[in-house]
Amino acid sequence: MQGFSGGGDGATAELAHLQSTMSAIEAACTSIQMHLNPAAAEATILSLSRSPQPYKACQFILENSQVANARFQAAGAIRDAAIREWAFLTAEDRRSLVSFCLGFAMQHAGSPEGYVLAKVSSVAAQLLKRGWHDFSTAEKETFFHQIKQASLGIHGVHVQFIGINFLESLVSEFSPSTSSAMGLPREFHEQCRRSLELDYLKVFYCWTRDAALSVANKITESDSAVDEVKVCTAALRLILQILNWEFQCNSNGKKGVNVFSSGIRQDAGLSNRSECILVQPGPGWRDILISSRDIVWLLNLYTALRQKFSHEGFSIDCPIAVSARKLIMQYCSLTGTIFPSDNGQLQEHHLLQLLSGIIHWIDPPDLVSKQIECGKSERSLFSESPSAAGYFSDYVLVTHQILLSCLCSEMLDGCRALLAMATVTSPTMFNQLLKSIRPFGTFTLLSTLMCEVIKVLMTKAPDEETWSWEARDILLDTWTALLMPLDSAGGIVLLPPEGVDAAATLFTFIVESELKAASASAFNDDVDSDYLHTSISAMDERLSSYALIARAAIDVAIPLLTRHCTERFTRLHQGGGSLDPTETLEEVYSLLLITGHVLADEGEGETPLVPTAIQRHIADSVVPDKNPVVILCSSIVRFAEQSLNPESRSSFFSPRLMEAIIWFLARWSQTYLMSPEGSQDSSYSSKADNMHQVQSISSGQTVLRYFSEYDHGKTVLDIIVRVAIATFMSYPGEKFLQGLTCYQLLHALVRQKNICIHLVTLESWSKLAIAFANEKMLFMLNASHQKSLAQTLVLSASGFRDSESANQYVRILMGHMTAYLVEISSKNDLKRVAEQPDTILSVTCLLERLRGAASASEPRMQKSIYQMGSSILNSTLILLEVYKHESAVIYLLLKFVVEWVEGQISYLEAQETTVVIDYCMRLLQLYSSHNIGKISLSLSSSLLNDAKSEKYKDLRALLQLLASLCSKDLVDFSSDSLEAHGTSISQVVFYGLHIVTPLISLELLKYPKLCRDYFSLLSHMLEVYPEMVGQLNNEAFSHILETLQFGLHHQDSEVVNMCLRALRALASYHYKETASGKMGLGSHASSLRNPKGELQEGIFSRFLRTTLQLLLFEDYSPDLVGAAADALFPLILCEQGLYQKLGNELIERQANQTFKSRLTNALQSLTSSNQLSCTLDRMNYQRFRKNLTNFLIEVRGFLRIV
Amino acid sequence: MSDEEHHFESKADAGASKTYPQQAGTIRKNGYIVIKGRPCKVVEVSTSKTGKHGHAKCHFVAIDIFNGKKLEDIVPSSHNCDVPHVNRTDYQLIDISEDGFVSLLTENGNTKDDLRLPTDDNLLSQIKDGFSDGKDLVVSVMSSMGEEQICALKDIGPK
Repeated sequence: MQGFSGGGDGATAELAHLQSTMSAIEAACTSIQMHLNPAAAEATILSLSRSPQPYKACQFILENSQVANARFQAAGAIRDAAIREWAFLTAEDRRSLVSFCLGFAMQHAGSPEGYVLAKVSSVAAQLLKRGWHDFSTAEKETFFHQIKQASLGIHGVHVQFIGINFLESLVSEFSPSTSSAMGLPREFHEQCRRSLELDYLKVFYCWTRDAALSVANKITESDSAVDEVKVCTAALRLILQILNWEFQCNSNGKKGVNVFSSGIRQDAGLSNRSECILVQPGPGWRDILISSRDIVWLLNLYTALRQKFSHEGFSIDCPIAVSARKLIMQYCSLTGTIFPSDNGQLQEHHLLQLLSGIIHWIDPPDLVSKQIECGKSERSLFSESPSAAGYFSDYVLVTHQILLSCLCSEMLDGCRALLAMATVTSPTMFNQLLKSIRPFGTFTLLSTLMCEVIKVLMTKAPDEETWSWEARDILLDTWTALLMPLDSAGGIVLLPPEGVDAAATLFTFIVESELKAASASAFNDDVDSDYLHTSISAMDERLSSYALIARAAIDVAIPLLTRHCTERFTRLHQGGGSLDPTETLEEVYSLLLITGHVLADEGEGETPLVPTAIQRHIADSVVPDKNPVVILCSSIVRFAEQSLNPESRSSFFSPRLMEAIIWFLARWSQTYLMSPEGSQDSSYSSKADNMHQVQSISSGQTVLRYFSEYDHGKTVLDIIVRVAIATFMSYPGEKFLQGLTCYQLLHALVRQKNICIHLVTLESWSKLAIAFANEKMLFMLNASHQKSLAQTLVLSASGFRDSESANQYVRILMGHMTAYLVEISSKNDLKRVAEQPDTILSVTCLLERLRGAASASEPRMQKSIYQMGSSILNSTLILLEVYKHESAVIYLLLKFVVEWVEGQISYLEAQETTVVIDYCMRLLQLYSSHNIGKISLSLSSSLLNDAKSEKYKDLRALLQLLASLCSKDLVDFSSDSLEAHGTSISQVVFYGLHIVTPLISLELLKYPKLCRDYFSLLSHMLEVYPEMVGQLNNEAFSHILETLQFGLHHQDSEVVNMCLRALRALASYHYKETASGKMGLGSHASSLRNPKGELQEGIFSRFLRTTLQLLLFEDYSPDLVGAAADALFPLILCEQGLYQKLGNELIERQANQTFKSRLTNALQSLTSSNQLSCTLDRMNYQRFRKNLTNFLIEVRGFLRIV
Repeated sequence: MSDEEHHFESKADAGASKTYPQQAGTIRKNGYIVIKGRPCKVVEVSTSKTGKHGHAKCHFVAIDIFNGKKLEDIVPSSHNCDVPHVNRTDYQLIDISEDGFVSLLTENGNTKDDLRLPTDDNLLSQIKDGFSDGKDLVVSVMSSMGEEQICALKDIGPK
């Protein structure tokens, strides 16, 4: 092995050198700890790991240094250097490094500085992985033999611990999600993972289990076996880790490994539930995990620990108990092909075994919760009188706290185990499990347990974080897992009768306690709105779980909700203003939320179906008026209708109650109102009859038909629209409520075509449209609500049968507004009037409305929307001039133009396009003349920042405008071609870029969105129209070049990627053109003398240099290599002479002969291997990508350290 | 209208007609508002309710456009707030006098000499540096509720 930077002048000199290195590192470590000049100290430490072959020095430090930190750093340095230099270490060096690290850790096993040992063994693990393909089987065997001996405890407990520790780091290194980076392709990690899973993992498991077994007795028998406890905890942790492995070769050991998707676990759907990870090892693990008595042993161990625990309180380390419980839970989530296909008998047996151990943690629920709560109250009793109780109370207090926290976490773990079991079993099997040890099934236990938890929860303040919160969430997840299993997506789950009963009991209890909580909190004033918002989203999740439970017992749930609703509605009416209705209001509020969740699912952009439980539910009577769902829905709609009566509105329809009503109506109408299924009247039902061969109609069908357009649908729609109008007219300033109406209710309505058809015929809808155009109240709405309302109203025009009437409708709707805007802008004293706040307000509102209408562009209304925009083009330019200082108005104006152009551009005929393009160019020029060179002055830094971010938003809008102009070349529905009219989109966009770019300072490019937009537009232009670049003038051209240079060094790899793509396009264009004897980029490409007489390189030479520099010497994401290869290849072809020169320079710079020849060979094969040829086709690009990857692996390691 | 008239007006009825009532719910971020008699720019609006089933109210955080101080106000969202009339005029900068006044060229060819330079060193240097470099500068003067101040600076130098 070579010495630390080649000391060969005899042993003493070398020793002195090692000594001095050691003291330098020690000094650096100490100074870091003391916070003395940490930068310099870090540099010293880094220099060690960066120096070539520092192994001897590092080993010297490890063996001789008294400073633990120095040893730690030395181990790290070995790792860094060896990973970097691995490719040119000899086989002997590699082996000896690993065995040194292993040996070191074992020899010093008893040392108190555990973290140094952990580091050294993790270094050993990483090196072993790095050389996994290089070491022979015999070599590996030798290492593992050593480990086996250690972990079985032959060399004592300390070494045993080290052995297990090493295995732990090995397993985590080999698991792709926790492995450390080695600068190698993903495939390498994947191969290692496979190899370990197939050949070693099971062996490791057995060793670890044996290790745990060997110490377990000692632990349970004696009080002071601290070291054994440590070993056992580590062993349990390792087993847990092994079971956490992402098993992939589970079916027959030969599953095709997809390296691209293996990073994401298939059970990603689980991730939002509590931490329940399925363990799916293949059948190969059956004999080890299931058939062996491991589980029984583990349960016994835990029971023994538990007893010890309750007697001696805190005398035992908690971690071991925690690990044991975690492991037990992990065993609960075993599933998949490990169980034979014997109707789940083995699995049932396995789970039963576990459950009989776990049951004591959670059963009987009332006792457990009482114990926990008692412990709490006693504790608080103690803590109230700290001085009097003195020392003794402190002592008991500590005991109590530990006991308590253990009881809590044990109970929580019990719940988690139930969750795991629920995830891996069917509801029937889940229920059956408990029957053999208790008189009732698991569902009953689950339900009682949850009632108990909720009972405790009710006594707590809402913001108090307690165990019952967590327990409730876990148990809710358990229900979700049972009722919505992952494999049967959307299918119905049949619960055993006991499960249905349990769900019914639970839901009744839940509703009661929610109502109680609501009325109790009615007078709470929630000041903190942030807190409110987070709790709303948490509540939403909870409510969907409640809905699942309710649907499981739908027969009970619907009548229950109806009863509660009716009772509260009557109470409100009877009160008649004399009593304070607040408590009842709050109860109705939460009832509406619960009912909404039970009845309908969230659409999330899709049309939600009637929930299966309601769909399949067979009602006793086919008469719709007696259908429980119809009764419930109608009663709520009727209640909503009462808000139209001014008297009852003022007495009890508070804004908050209206929010719940609007929310409910929005959610409900998406599923039930005029659903297309309900309208397919006779044809559908006859089909259904044929399918089921019965005469009964499902409840869902009855409900849908009841609310269809043929029955009560239209009346209900009318009520909904009138309620919506009421929220605009009668609740001034209630922004949130009006927002709900705009965004949720009305948007949801116009999204459905069949509803639109009826909307436009309703008198109430035209009332809304007229009010929108004229009513002052609606100009008082929040401006963005007005935008949304305009959009909604325009969208509803799609309900007209022909495009003529649709266009007419839009014209009438928006006519007022365009006329008003034209009128304002043509006023003589505009400059004076424009500054008045009321004018600003109305201009703002008008622009928002126009923007909303523009964003609703649909082919059917396209004409009228084009006319709407084109009639105000001149006015907008005037306003742009007048409001040049009013950035808020300018931004709105630009956004309107952007959205209008974006919606229209692809439909426009050539003539119209020319108009629009001319307009856009004038807009750009005007904007630029107002803003170029402008500096805002303000005392307040936040106002200055505002000014900056306003500018950013403007520019982003302008870029979007250019981008949508660009799209005309790609998507064009017009009848004649644009070229015929002499307009070239690419020319226009380049010209636009030329205007906009000077406004974009490097400062502004720090805004990531702007930066991305800018570069994506630029690279798009360069990619699609490289020929345009040749025609640019020098100034514009050099600006583009500078930006590309800047972009290549940007942090955002997406930006770099776009720049590389642009480069590739430019270079390949030039190469192809010149190859066929044309100009290509002409003068831009060749070297020139600039006016000062200096030689200026052509662009391709410059970029060849930059790209090579980047690839070889700088930091970048490995994802970029492909894009860089694609850019580099044509660049090399364009500038072959320069490339040769640069290559030679690189080779000359290498002092080391070995490196020199390696580099020469690598450069050689970069351009010649894989039959690379000089044509730019797909094949060659791919070959070059491969060559470049190999080249980088080969040389980057040593190029970067020099 | 000429600038002389304008100033005359603002002195005649300081403040009063220089504000307009506007419903609190319609005032947005980046809009203007009068808080404690000062013209401000709104930097944050949040809404809350008076009691669970009460009405909405708006909470404004705003910055005085002249002195940069932060002010806050809470108004029921259906009530009216005062919104200041903020006016900005561009003038070409002719001269900076020794005693801290600027000389500006108005649209109709007169000069306006009653405006002081800002006292803040940073802002001052931005104006002075540009002027001493011999650039053609246009300054925007912001005036509201009887106060005025230079708020922006633009180089319109030879292109």
